[in-house]
Amino acid sequence: MNADSKQSCTLTTEAEPTAEMSPMPVWIVALMVTLLFLSAWYFDLYGGWFEPKVFAPYVSVADVQRFQPNTDPSASFIAQGKKLFTDNCAVCHMETGVGNPGNGCPPLVDSDWVKHPTPDRVLMLISKGLSGPITVNGKVYNTGVMLAVGDSLMGDEKEKAYKIAAIASYVRKQFGGISVIVKPEQAEAVRASIKDRSANYTADELLKVP
Amino acid sequence: MKSSSIVFLAAFIALSASWAGFVLVPQIQLGRADQAETVPSKDKYPVARAGLAAQGAEVYRSLGCVYCHSQQVGQTGVKVEVVLLDAGTNADNTLSALKKVNAALGKPETFIGLPKQIAEVADIAASDALVKAVTDAGGKIEVNVVPTGTDISRGWGKRRTVAQDYVYDAVVQPGTRRAGPDLANVGSRWTDPNWQLNHLYAPKSVVKDSTMPAYRFLFEKRKIGKVASADALKLIGDSTPPTGFEIVPTDKARELVAYLLSLRAEAPLWETPLTPPPALAVSTNTTTVAVKSEIKNFTASELLSVEGKGK
Repeated sequence: MNADSKQSCTLTTEAEPTAEMSPMPVWIVALMVTLLFLSAWYFDLYGGWFEPKVFAPYVSVADVQRFQPNTDPSASFIAQGKKLFTDNCAVCHMETGVGNPGNGCPPLVDSDWVKHPTPDRVLMLISKGLSGPITVNGKVYNTGVMLAVGDSLMGDEKEKAYKIAAIASYVRKQFGGISVIVKPEQAEAVRASIKDRSANYTADELLKVP
Repeated sequence: MKSSSIVFLAAFIALSASWAGFVLVPQIQLGRADQAETVPSKDKYPVARAGLAAQGAEVYRSLGCVYCHSQQVGQTGVKVEVVLLDAGTNADNTLSALKKVNAALGKPETFIGLPKQIAEVADIAASDALVKAVTDAGGKIEVNVVPTGTDISRGWGKRRTVAQDYVYDAVVQPGTRRAGPDLANVGSRWTDPNWQLNHLYAPKSVVKDSTMPAYRFLFEKRKIGKVASADALKLIGDSTPPTGFEIVPTDKARELVAYLLSLRAEAPLWETPLTPPPALAVSTNTTTVAVKSEIKNFTASELLSVEGKGK
């Protein structure tokens, strides 16, 4: 009993914990304000304002736009033509345009058909295909049938004309060295004039086209 | 508990704020991301992985490659280089045209060692005057947008990776640790499937200081029968098997390599402007690139002999 009272005596000397309100230390307030300022500043610099297409190091749409390379629109058109050529024509004519003479498929490289100054007959040929023999650079190729690749392209009439013009532009530039592009409107006009035709062309028919 | 409503409210605000930040806002930003077009060639990007490569993504995941390899390239800046390709037939003309735009460039030494970078400008608009001056004088000039950064100078990529690169990944594995190199562009850095297989079988045989473990369980060691397997690994260095044996990659090894070869986050997109090398601008279709190396023209006699092999 005696020992217990002695111990309680020592306990009472310690300070009681208090639950009163006390002012927040000034340094915490200062730290919070600084952090808030820094984070807002950082967000302002690098946030991109929630624009999903803006990634660091760019900070806004206008900033990304400043670095978009200037491109030649015809280059992009020809690139599309190249892709279409690879998908639709390269099976027979080969990506390099050398053709497949063994199967009667004529070359496009330096071909007098490709180098012809006006694109009309090439557009017609791509649109409706060709059957029968064809003479390229003085050599006869016994083409069985070239399918109407142009007519079977995906899309409506306008898209088809656009794609055919792209293919013709690429072929003329790549294999004939003619850098003037074939405009989609040209292809539309040519296709409008032959829209009722369903049969393949023959080489002789096409040679009459200017 | 007299302040329970305040505690509840505080917890609610804290949780919903983090939910909004981590889930809602990203969903609004990128939730509807889909195939986009590259700039300027308008190819579709990305192209979904097909067949082997899609299965390879699962192998990559199951082997835990992501613990040592990241698939994200960083970029700290961008520079616009003006490169003079050709001074034109009348160099004096070009020189004086350049001098009008920028006095420092109008010196004869500008034309030494063409093509040559003659200026670095702040943005595309700042290069327009130079381009016009040289083109009008009959010369040729090129403006290149080049991303910069430590990852890019290490050769890990041509540009930073962006959300678009991962659109078709069911499990996105960007990774955080870089015990090994970044793999975002491994398919265009190491294009040879045989190299990739050798590297998986015996990393040190192809990369001297590699710390990667050898993934030998992805390969089978077989005794050579009548005819050696056409698929057997052409081994490099001291990992050659004993005479009479051959190392044949399993399906998993093939799938993994197909996946690695499909990793090419380098298509030029609007959000990461760069001037791509000409070949890249035309096609970014990863699958065709990987497969093309294997397409060859068979002769008739080769095709006939294929039939005989089965017997």
